Amino acid sequence: MTILEKVTALLGEGAVLEAGTDRVPRFAPGSPDAVALLLGTAHQEGWRVRIEGAGTWLQSDAPADLALTTRRLDRIPAIEPPDLTATAEAGIGLDQLRQQLADRGAWLGIDPPGLAGRTLGSVVATASAGPLRHGFGPIKDHLLGVTFVTGDGRMVQSGGRVMKNVAGYDLTRLQAGGFGAFGVIVLVHLRLRTLPRADVTYLLEGAREDLTQVGEDVAAAGLTPAALELVSPALARRDRWVLGVRLAGSPALVAADEAGLGAASGGGRFTPLRAEEAHAFWMRLAEGFAVRPVTFRIGGVPSASDELLDLLQHQLGDEWISASPAAGSIRWTGEASIDRLQRLRRTLAGLEVPLTLERAPWPLRSAVGHFGAYREGVGPLVTGLRRTFDPGAALVVATEGE
Amino acid sequence: MRLLYSMTAPSPLARDLAAIVGAKHVREALAARVTYAMDGLPTHRRVPDLVVLPGTREELIAVVRLLAALDVPFVPRGAGTGLSGGALAGEGTVLIVLTRLNRIVRIDRANRLAVVEPGVVNAKLTAATKPLGLHYAPDPSSQTACTIGGNVAENAGGPHCLKYGVTANHILALEVLLADGSLVELGSPGGETWGPDLVGVFVGSEGNFGVATRITVRLTPVPRAVRTLLADFTSIRTAGEGVSAIIAAGIVPAALEMMDQSCIRAVEDSVYAAGYPRDAAAVLLVEIDGRNADAVVAEADAVADLLRTAGARTVRTAASEAERERLWQGRKKAFGAMGRLSRDLVVQDAVVPRSALPDVLETIYGIAQRYGLVVSNVFHAGDGNLHPNISFDATDPALKQRVEAASAEIMSTCIAAGGTITGEHGVGLDKLRYMPLIFDAESLGAMQALRRVFDPEERVNPGKVVPVHACREWASLARAS
Amino acid sequence: MREGKEGRGGFEGLDACVHCGFCLQACPTFLATGDEADSPRGRIELMRALERGDLTASDPALAYHLDRCLGCRGCEPVCPSGVQYGIGLEAARQRIAEARGVSRLARLALWALTSPKVSRVVYWFARGFRATGIPRRLAGWGRLRFAMGMLAATQGGEMRTKARKVLSPPSPALLFRGCVQQGLFSHVHDATVRTLGVNGYQVGEVKGQVCCGALHAHAGLLDEARALARVNVAAFGEGDEPIVVNSAGCGALMKEYGHLLCHEQGERFGARVRDVTELLAGDAMRGPIGGAPLDMHVAYDPPCHLLHAQGVAVPPLRLFAAIPLLELVSVPGAAECCGSAGLFTLLEPEMSRAVLAAKIERLRETAPQVVATGNPGCQMQIGAGLAAAGVATRVRHPVELLDDAYRAAGRYE
Repeated sequence: MTILEKVTALLGEGAVLEAGTDRVPRFAPGSPDAVALLLGTAHQEGWRVRIEGAGTWLQSDAPADLALTTRRLDRIPAIEPPDLTATAEAGIGLDQLRQQLADRGAWLGIDPPGLAGRTLGSVVATASAGPLRHGFGPIKDHLLGVTFVTGDGRMVQSGGRVMKNVAGYDLTRLQAGGFGAFGVIVLVHLRLRTLPRADVTYLLEGAREDLTQVGEDVAAAGLTPAALELVSPALARRDRWVLGVRLAGSPALVAADEAGLGAASGGGRFTPLRAEEAHAFWMRLAEGFAVRPVTFRIGGVPSASDELLDLLQHQLGDEWISASPAAGSIRWTGEASIDRLQRLRRTLAGLEVPLTLERAPWPLRSAVGHFGAYREGVGPLVTGLRRTFDPGAALVVATEGE
Repeated sequence: MRLLYSMTAPSPLARDLAAIVGAKHVREALAARVTYAMDGLPTHRRVPDLVVLPGTREELIAVVRLLAALDVPFVPRGAGTGLSGGALAGEGTVLIVLTRLNRIVRIDRANRLAVVEPGVVNAKLTAATKPLGLHYAPDPSSQTACTIGGNVAENAGGPHCLKYGVTANHILALEVLLADGSLVELGSPGGETWGPDLVGVFVGSEGNFGVATRITVRLTPVPRAVRTLLADFTSIRTAGEGVSAIIAAGIVPAALEMMDQSCIRAVEDSVYAAGYPRDAAAVLLVEIDGRNADAVVAEADAVADLLRTAGARTVRTAASEAERERLWQGRKKAFGAMGRLSRDLVVQDAVVPRSALPDVLETIYGIAQRYGLVVSNVFHAGDGNLHPNISFDATDPALKQRVEAASAEIMSTCIAAGGTITGEHGVGLDKLRYMPLIFDAESLGAMQALRRVFDPEERVNPGKVVPVHACREWASLARAS
Repeated sequence: MREGKEGRGGFEGLDACVHCGFCLQACPTFLATGDEADSPRGRIELMRALERGDLTASDPALAYHLDRCLGCRGCEPVCPSGVQYGIGLEAARQRIAEARGVSRLARLALWALTSPKVSRVVYWFARGFRATGIPRRLAGWGRLRFAMGMLAATQGGEMRTKARKVLSPPSPALLFRGCVQQGLFSHVHDATVRTLGVNGYQVGEVKGQVCCGALHAHAGLLDEARALARVNVAAFGEGDEPIVVNSAGCGALMKEYGHLLCHEQGERFGARVRDVTELLAGDAMRGPIGGAPLDMHVAYDPPCHLLHAQGVAVPPLRLFAAIPLLELVSVPGAAECCGSAGLFTLLEPEMSRAVLAAKIERLRETAPQVVATGNPGCQMQIGAGLAAAGVATRVRHPVELLDDAYRAAGRYE
């Protein structure tokens, strides 16, 4: 029997999708249990499985015996506005989830890079935060718990649905940013906020150094923007660098911050955007990172932001860059060679700055790895985690470079 | 000369440890060891075989390597203010006390971070950074005594975690000493991780994955404007509804705390009397903070209106910093004041969905009444994190049994409401028995397997957190060598 | 043995401890060693174990850690449950003293410092030696040199003046003279009499008074302390004049004579005892009559037995406020014990110096001209520490400063 036949017998016709150009059979299990069944079988049979979401972010090009996509895990079992919590399956598109939350007056404070339909599971697995990281923290801060299936088909729950939870070890945080190397996320419990009653965006154009200074002044003035993002001209499609400031929350707080913004603008003038312009600005930023072949993020201390931006410009060219200087995180997208990326990662490691490769074609991804240049002692732990949560190495993930 | 200590000769292990840390920092006499038999939850008691207090990071490393070489299990301990029996070392186990590792290594004002040793006391870190306009935001009630290392182990919370997040949200990087004596560097000062988020995995691991030797914490600007409200209610239910009203209105207070009458009275009888009305069924302590004074006042007024509508008898605002401090001291020392009610105390730490608070509270008091017990509630209402405390006299065995039964019933009530068994105190020994109520055998097995990646021999803090008998076996558990 | 309410000899005061640990950072010995066994919470466990019989009074390790308690009671005012630590400690120390006796060194010290005839000779020699200036030159950290520093720190001004008569009819008060205070700090007594005189008190003398017994009680010799207390109660009679004390350690025990003796007479006696700063500050806390300006930086170091045991916090501050220009400098951790604690400095020198060292370091950083503290032990301990560390700061009793201000204001004849 072929893999196609076996899996069809296991999961039914409904789970079979058309194969992509690389002819790898693709399956879309319709429930978390079906994911467990499929991975359990793959583990026994020795099949190598590639995990996909909506297929809009990571290239679907990893060599595998079969592809498992979470796109049919698209239910939202619970939205609880009075508790500000929700439970959603991993395959739901972020745009759909956002819409459903908004209908109930709730809001998820994350705006990851990628197209609008990128799945929740993909965002969690790669821990890719966007500009809102400045005000609302990294992806892990929005998670209350996850359910995942290990590489050998075990279904594991961690965390819960309540605001605080320290029962047991934190497997949720292992999955957030694990790039699927330690299991496939099937269900996510989320921490929500109320839909901001005021949400405005201001832009300031200028030289990068000047804008960095303005960013620091904004922080020093004690303003609390939801996002404070420095965007390169190419990415913003403008002549000069752009500082985007997003204020979101209660009208009183937003008005107070708007008043403070003028004082911190360092002589320049912030331009307010109309709602649809603001939406377009942030969308373009997110989508920009899904169209070039290579995207990575780095994280340093805030005071190193300038130096790191210089370094990126020098080593790779300042193609498309977006930085959240106060949070110390920078995202880059463009074209880069294996050699250059590896050299950059080593240089950065010397500065205590990790580089996480978010997307790249398989040959580059497998050579460079999502992770690498580990600090002392991390390598053996990651290997141990891989062996524990995917003992048969069924999950094809370019964890570390070669 | 005065008698020196113990008449019996030190054991070979004590001698070897003394060679590392000095004889006066090794405690082998029973009288010294019994003082370490408990943490902040004295219903659990275990006397360690040996206590060692290293004074430097290097000494600590040498101690752990020696224990690794001899295959001796050990338990790291901070100030011993934990509330789950987590930092207890039983027979055959060495207790490593980290209180002497109390140096603040570095404060980086520009990047808002500090590097500290594990024994630094929480409140002392904030005191050291306050002059720079910064503070360490997680503020467990025991912050005047507890250590950052202990906070990391337990993923400690506190009143202001409602807005600012728990310990896990404030740890950037860790240097960790594993059970085998090897050092691991997790995370980076910018908060990005090297590979998977092992900082997130380590925080809250209850001292079972190793010992944090250096901790890089995020510092938070001190808010410029603060308003503290005290609202009192004539029924618990209306107080609970007041909480729900605030959350549903989308307001995120810096803190939102509740205390019931029994707790109010214990505090008012103590040196920390805060002026809470003794006849109130419950009080809510609500704090709003931010940059802009006008906005903070506007939001505080909105909260006051919501509370009045929900049925608050009075809502008053702290008029001065001194009054605010007094209101908070009363709340933070409430747990310690429980000794006024009875000599023994069972402390719970369940979390429920916030909308379930009014119902759950009512059920809890019903249970207490049925068993004829005194239950006092003091808790983080805004998070739905309950601390029902049962006061009793443990010398009465029948009473003790009733307390056990009532505790179990309270716990099942919270779980049935969609909650969890511990929000910030940790599992330790105390909540082991409840773990199978919220996790299946597979998930418990996964936790145990995770632990064995860090500590394959289960030599650090054995027997805590995961009830091993309830785990499903995981085949591949070895850590890469 | 003392009979407590429940007949448990004082141990019942420990029942309220729920082990929260909020006392840890208030304990000078825990801060010095980081060892739970050297903390209030740990010692409470030891006392409980002693009461239960899990540990015996002759257990050397038990005694080791209880001996290392300063008895400063800094843990009591921070305890949310109101654990009566001091009373429990006394009960435990009595049992230990019964089991192993009192050390020869402690016996010798008590004999030399508190027995009326012997101590008179000792203090006479000490004053003569002090006058030579040799002790000041020899002050240092070693055991003997530290003792030299302590002696040097007892030096006061030699002013023999009297307060001018006040117009309104004076209120009577009786002065408690004590042993060390009388032997080495008689200048503080003089300042007490004068400053109280300015503030409307006629201070009378009481014959037949003896040492208060605090040093004995701390050593676990409760019966000897009681004997001394009885003599004092008889000597001061049944009047209702306040009994003024300028040594915090003595005042703390004397206020608790009722508890110590378990009789009403003692209770009444205790109610009359007032620290000199309490009398000067007045019941309405208005503070004493103002003096002339003294342009100096003063660090106030509240004695544990005044602040924690007697709960007297504000009156000394009212006293400083009566002196224009005098600037109080705040020293971090001022309220932490100096490590003197009666005979502790002699019996547990290592712990005592460790506790002191932190205070001296902070005083070196803040560098006040004067450290003011109202207890002879603290004056000697801090004075010796400063001398050993080569810090020029002097240690004086608060009433001495007020006395100087009054003299400068021409209030004395």
